[in-house]
Formats: sequence, C-alpha cells, structure tokens
Amino acid sequence: MKLSYYPGCSLHSTGAEYDASTRKVCEKLGIELVEIEDWVCCGSTPAHQCDELMSIALPAKNMALAREQSGLGEICAPCASCYSRLKFAQERLTDDHLRRQVEHVIDARYPDDIKVLHMLEVISEKVGADAVKEKVVKTLDSIKVACYYGCLITRPPKVTAREDFENPTDMEALIEALGAETVDWNMKTFCCGAAFALTRTEVVVDLTGKILADAHAVGADVIAVGCPLCHVNLDTRQQQINEKLGTNFNIPIFYFTQLMGLAMGIGPKDLGIHKHITEAESFLKERALI
Amino acid sequence: MKIAGQKESKIDPTLAEEIRQRCGENVFLCYQCKKCASGCPTRPFMESTPTELMRYLQLGMIDEAMKKDTIWYCLSCQTCSARCPQNIDIAHVVDAVKIIVQEKNIKVDTGNAKLFNRLWMTLLKYMGRMYEMGLTGMLNLFSGKPFKDLPLGIKLIKKGKLKLLPTIKRPFEMMKMFSRARDLKK
Repeated sequence: MKLSYYPGCSLHSTGAEYDASTRKVCEKLGIELVEIEDWVCCGSTPAHQCDELMSIALPAKNMALAREQSGLGEICAPCASCYSRLKFAQERLTDDHLRRQVEHVIDARYPDDIKVLHMLEVISEKVGADAVKEKVVKTLDSIKVACYYGCLITRPPKVTAREDFENPTDMEALIEALGAETVDWNMKTFCCGAAFALTRTEVVVDLTGKILADAHAVGADVIAVGCPLCHVNLDTRQQQINEKLGTNFNIPIFYFTQLMGLAMGIGPKDLGIHKHITEAESFLKERALI
Repeated sequence: MKIAGQKESKIDPTLAEEIRQRCGENVFLCYQCKKCASGCPTRPFMESTPTELMRYLQLGMIDEAMKKDTIWYCLSCQTCSARCPQNIDIAHVVDAVKIIVQEKNIKVDTGNAKLFNRLWMTLLKYMGRMYEMGLTGMLNLFSGKPFKDLPLGIKLIKKGKLKLLPTIKRPFEMMKMFSRARDLKK
C-alpha cells in the first residue's frame, strides 16, 4: 500500500515522535508513505479565523502538490488539524465559484478526487485491527489505556463523515488488539484547549485538568492520542495543573502509534518515548514493557 | 431597540445577511434550543453563550455580537456545529464574526488571538511553514510577557522538540498566493 504523506508543521517539531512512530509502524505494516515534497502549512486555526480564502487555498495547494508529484489518490495526515483543514477544504471546494478562486490563488488545478485519511483511519480501515494483532510481539496487557480522540478526528460529521462522532471506538479496537485494556470514560471527545496553548493558557489548564481527572478517576494508566496539539497540551501542562488544582497527576501521554510500535517490538528510542515531558520511560520500565 | 433589563441596543438589520454572504449559514434557522451552549467547553469563560450570539445575529445586535469576548473564547472544537439540530455550522458563523471584527478593527479583548493570527499568517507568507520558536517569541514579546512558559520552552528545546532555526519552503510561491488572494478580496 502506497500513500501520500502530509506530516504538517507539528510533526516536524513538537510532534516529532508522532512522525517517527508513524513512519516506523507503517514500515512494519508494509505501508509506503511518500512525503509530499516541500509541502506548506495547512493554515491551521489562525487561517480559518482570519482569512477564509487562504484557509481553503493552503490545503488545496498541498493536495495539488500531492497529485502533481506522485499521482497517488490518497493522502495520510496524522495531525488532526491538518486532516481537518484538508477535509474542510474538500467540503467547501464543491462550490464552483470558490474552486475557481482557489485555483487562481494556487495557480494550479485542484484535484477533487483525492481521499484524505487520518492515520487512525489508515490503520483501522485500510489495515484493520486483526492484521495489527498478527504483528504484535509484546502484548501490552499490563496497562490500562484511555483513548482520547479530541475534536477534529471525529468532528464535525459533515466533514469527517463519521456517524460515531460522540462516541468513537476505533482507537479502542486497535489498542485492544495490542493486548492492552481500554477504559470507558467521558472525556474522549472533549476539547483539550487546542490553539489556546499560547494565548489563553489558563483555559488549556482548566480543560486538560478535566480530561486528566476523568482518566484518573476511571483508573487509566496512560492516555493515547492521535493529535500533536492534544499531546502537547496533555503532556506539558500536568505540572501547572497539579499546582493549580492541588492534584498529583503524572499520567504518561502516548501517541497511539507509539503504543503500536512498542507492541510490535520497535525500540523506545526509535519511537521517541524519551521526548515526552511527563515521564514515560520509567513508567514503561516499571511495567516491564521496555 | 430596547431589551428588558438592558440599555438601548444598536441594530444593524444587514448583519444576518452579511454573515450569510461570508459563510453561507442562515442564522434564522436557530430556534434557541441551547444545545450549542450546553456542549461548549469554554462557555463558562464567555460573557454570553453561543446561543445568545445566534440571537444577536438574528436581531442585528451588532455591539453584543462583536464586542463581547464570546467569539474569542471559541476553540473551533466543532461540538456546536456537530450537535446543532438545524445543521447550522455555528463554528463557521463564529469564524465569520471573528473575521469581521478583525477586518473592521473593532476594539475588543481578543485574548491576543488577533496578534497570534497575524503573526502566524505573516510567518507562513514568507516561510511556508510554521516556525514555532519565532511565533512564541514574538507573541510573548508583543503581548508584554517575554518570559511566559520559558522553563517549558527550554525543556522542549533540550528534547529536540522546538527548532531554533526556521524551515523555509516555497517562499516566492507563498507570497504570490497571498498577494493573489488579497487582490481577489478587493
């Protein structure tokens, strides 16, 4: 299987371990990722809240690049925000007037037949939990995982075409295939505070505090995520949350691809486990997973 | 127009139409069920709720819609848009109001969102990709909190998660794209 790969800015910086683990896991599963050469930023949240036209043109530019360079029909976007912006652009570009404007801005034809997939969709729809199970060499049966989807992997349904947007379960199926136990919890699609990380940090501390508290209350050992911004917010703010709420959270946050990699026998260094702010390596040693 | 318990409000009867032209959403479909407000994660921080915003837009209450901080606490988490029984893309409506406020330079506390957006788009225009170090540094500097999150920043640099230097991709193409988009909007 061969897919165009659009890592996005975060996966080249704060989400470097998501990029590393995604590449390693895909290699194990026989998925070839062809990175779009010299891709540009999707515009993310700032673009759609200050410049409607550019917020559609930037994703369209990347889709045009993918088609020009490789001719592949599918793009894998592991970042939830990139994925969402690409899907939003596709939805809006069904309008002919806007499409003509965007094609003028990007000075290229917009390919309207590309399928955009989040990394979670690539694994659960195109590979399947059963095929993942076959690759497991080290079962993760010593950990309890809270699967956290955040916002944009599942919402809004008119863009993601998901019926289960209030209570998605595909990440659970995947994590259970690795031998781990998953928990039933309330906050799996609650927002982490997203782009307020830099501007209204107090909101992020409040929201991530609620998410961690719920995961803790149901007895989860770790939280699995599929978005670099969710990871940053949940991983880096625990100390601040503890100071503010008087709690004692120390919950390792993993990308679901890192957990897959661990179960498939990929080394922790290759998966970037050492890059986390909330200590994850010692936790894994404690559970005899590394 | 006077609303019980409130002072006189300025009415702009074209407001709903402007929103429709900008984002294609018809605010008159809203029947005030409050599902958007109930599910909104940042509603406790807002001066008024998303449901109230929809009413302001229906009635053309321009100051209440534009000058309250409600829209600037929106995270674009899409919960309201996903749950609206009338299928109104409320988050898209909020974006349209945000864009009007920024274009008309209306004075309101955006929680540095306006600055954040402008810095982001400028970096993008010349570099093609996001330069987190530059963005955070400039944001903190211009918002008067130069040392905000400094210990965390240092940790992230040590972990190799923040690059000191930017990656520049397709700068000339990007500048041309931005300029063509600006011309189209005129």
